[in-house]
Amino acid sequence: MTCGRRWSAMLLLLLGLAMAPAPLVAQPAGTLVVGLVAEPVNLDPPQVTDLNSNRVSRRIAETLVAYAEDSTQIVPWLAESWTISKDGLWYTFKLRKGIKFQDGTPLDAEAVKFSIERQFNPDNPANKLGKYPFAGYFFGNVKAVEVMDESTVRFVLKEPRASFLAVLAAGAASIVSPTAVRKWGADYALNPVGTGPFRYVSWQRGQQVVLEKNPDYWRGPVKVDRVVYRSIVEDQARLTELLTGALDVIVGVPPDFVAQLEGSPKVTVLKQVGVHVWYLGINNQKKPFDDKRVRQALNYAINKDAIVKDVLKGTGSPSIGPVLPGTWGAEAGLKAYPYDPQRAKKLLAEAGYPNGFSTTMWVPESGSGMQSPVAMATVMQSNLKAVGVNVTLQTMEWGAYLAKLRSKEQELFALSWMAGSEDPDLVMYPLLHSSQWTPNGPNRALYKSERFDDLLTQARHTTDQSKRAQLYREAQRILVEDAPWVFVDHEVQIAATSKRVHGLKLHPSFDLRVETISLSP
Amino acid sequence: MGRYLLRRLLHLGPVLLGVSLIVFLVLHLTPGDPAEVMLGSQATQEDLTRLRAQLGLDRPLHVQYARWIGQVLRGDLGRSLWMKRPVLTEVMERFKATLLLTASALVLSTVGGIALGIGAATRANSLLDRLSTVASLFGASMPVFWLGIVLMVIFSLWLGWLPASGMFAPYGGGGARDLLAHLVLPAVTLAAASVTIVARLTRSAMLDVLGQDYVRTARAKGATEWAVVVRHALKNALIPIVTVVGVQAGYLLGGAVLTETVFAWPGVGTLVVQGILARDVPLVQGSVLVIASTFVLINLAVDVLYACLDPRIRYE
Repeated sequence: MTCGRRWSAMLLLLLGLAMAPAPLVAQPAGTLVVGLVAEPVNLDPPQVTDLNSNRVSRRIAETLVAYAEDSTQIVPWLAESWTISKDGLWYTFKLRKGIKFQDGTPLDAEAVKFSIERQFNPDNPANKLGKYPFAGYFFGNVKAVEVMDESTVRFVLKEPRASFLAVLAAGAASIVSPTAVRKWGADYALNPVGTGPFRYVSWQRGQQVVLEKNPDYWRGPVKVDRVVYRSIVEDQARLTELLTGALDVIVGVPPDFVAQLEGSPKVTVLKQVGVHVWYLGINNQKKPFDDKRVRQALNYAINKDAIVKDVLKGTGSPSIGPVLPGTWGAEAGLKAYPYDPQRAKKLLAEAGYPNGFSTTMWVPESGSGMQSPVAMATVMQSNLKAVGVNVTLQTMEWGAYLAKLRSKEQELFALSWMAGSEDPDLVMYPLLHSSQWTPNGPNRALYKSERFDDLLTQARHTTDQSKRAQLYREAQRILVEDAPWVFVDHEVQIAATSKRVHGLKLHPSFDLRVETISLSP
Repeated sequence: MGRYLLRRLLHLGPVLLGVSLIVFLVLHLTPGDPAEVMLGSQATQEDLTRLRAQLGLDRPLHVQYARWIGQVLRGDLGRSLWMKRPVLTEVMERFKATLLLTASALVLSTVGGIALGIGAATRANSLLDRLSTVASLFGASMPVFWLGIVLMVIFSLWLGWLPASGMFAPYGGGGARDLLAHLVLPAVTLAAASVTIVARLTRSAMLDVLGQDYVRTARAKGATEWAVVVRHALKNALIPIVTVVGVQAGYLLGGAVLTETVFAWPGVGTLVVQGILARDVPLVQGSVLVIASTFVLINLAVDVLYACLDPRIRYE
């Protein structure tokens, strides 16, 4: 019976190992642990624009102007004031005095010029140190950055563009310490230094990024001592860690978990609509979609409320147009296309398709801002079948999808756009202006309307916000009438926090502003 | 033996060359390139062209391959396109974590499998035998990620005995006990499928050996049951088992990807997946080369162990 004894001993040993309870170490009082959906790529904002990298790097480096606490209206930040010339080409900023970077270097106009210019000026010594893939997108319109005096800097634009202020609030416009860039060279992206409320401490790849409080922060030190960002890709793991208290904040909660979190006494659930739009793109230049009636029919045929309620389970808010409702540029009087399959069939018949037609819909399997693409597309497919439009779904991996969308062969395609700001120019111009037709730009619907183009161009050239609002409202009315897309929803960000977290407010730009958090002991 | 070893080591070269060529081609022929993924849906054609030139993607394929191979031969695996860090540093750091996980799973599945197999063979067709068959079939049939999540929910969420993910506690952790606690769930998940294979093989190999004449002789000579089973039978049954364990090591190395993803284990598997989705060509190519080399070396070690176990096998 020695065999049996040995065997049971082995089993007991295994069981013992499994049962040795690890003391689930309680968080030190001032440490906040955040669960991210994916690991940051690197921490130099102009070099990456993925959400998770930005969520971390924006705590370290700041911008001249920033978004207000609750909206994407522009407020002064590192710059205390600015003037815009009458022709809209000169933007002159006065910097606040006395601000220092985390390495002691003073913030001055030279540092601003350095931070922005290194992205697009080949003569700037830091230009070779990194790849700035978005330099053209953000600063393609900047002719020069001039230092007027120690605390005054001027941007000279090539063309007037009123959304330039919103560009300066983006992560890519972060002001970084020139000393640090010169010191670290190509490794700067892994050793960021800015003026922000937190400074970089360490990064254990695949595990966590650690930031600690900047005691000399110009707005006063924050209430949290350190922040640890853990990247946990698997949704269930992130949820479990929150519920066991190992994480304090999680973002990017999938729709299926929302109900569970809302029902749990251990967590607080936060919701906020983001400046984002999810749409079904239609190739406006391809038959039968070149007929407005067909596009309108698609809008009547698709049940957006069902998608938002049943697939997204409250993680989306139905969309009528590309501009976020409630923002300064939104047209409050826009009428949504109600779910009306009969009207859809009638329009199709009028357009010459009484028996419907066949088409293909391209859908990515995942992707930034795509929410639940395949599920949403499947609902749309069945909605369209009910009115006689037979849709073949083609799903693709994200990278392959982006490549395919340059081919102009698309008929229907599911896509989304994160605008970063509520300025309508930043969503309507790239996506719907005729100069932005693929492959030159992101207007993959190949939409063209002369009146629409004209309105948008006019709105760029004036900085009077109420005048711009008027122009954009008319533009939105045209869009609803022309129906170049089926507008589906705006993503509602969902975050969940443990009960010891107070003061977190989700921001419409999808940024995660942990600096407002205080922790109860 | 020495010459045998040398010959096998020389095989490493052509195998790795073949692997490198396949990985390179697959990555470059996949639709969507690194520039496309980096710039996302906001990209303009102008930006794409510029970035492609910067990344060296506009050169012909054979030129890109030659450049890369030249670098590799000098020990430089290049820099990751996304993360800007040297690939070799990145991969070796993460590889340690994967090796730890894989080795633990291998030990668990080998020890567990052999124990279960011996138990089943010596009590063939008993209740124990049948129960262990069912249990191990279950472990092998369930998808790794499902099993991992179920174990996580039971042991972390409901019972609170073990941490749900990661390798160390983010604060206050770092000791061996902390590491062990984090290692349990992923190692058990990863070992689950292998245990069956090892157990079933051990059972049949043992049954086969236990029926041999020399075992009967040993028993007749008065040897204890323990001596019969372990010293005489098991040693001979081990040969096929060792071969299978060697193959399992390779499978575990590759299969670790899913387990690592579920448990946020900072291993090379998650690194490669990230790299593929981002089309980070140098990173994926470098990681696959490292993994392939390890696999070949493991196979070599198994062959050597084989020779040690069975003196009948002579090598030229």
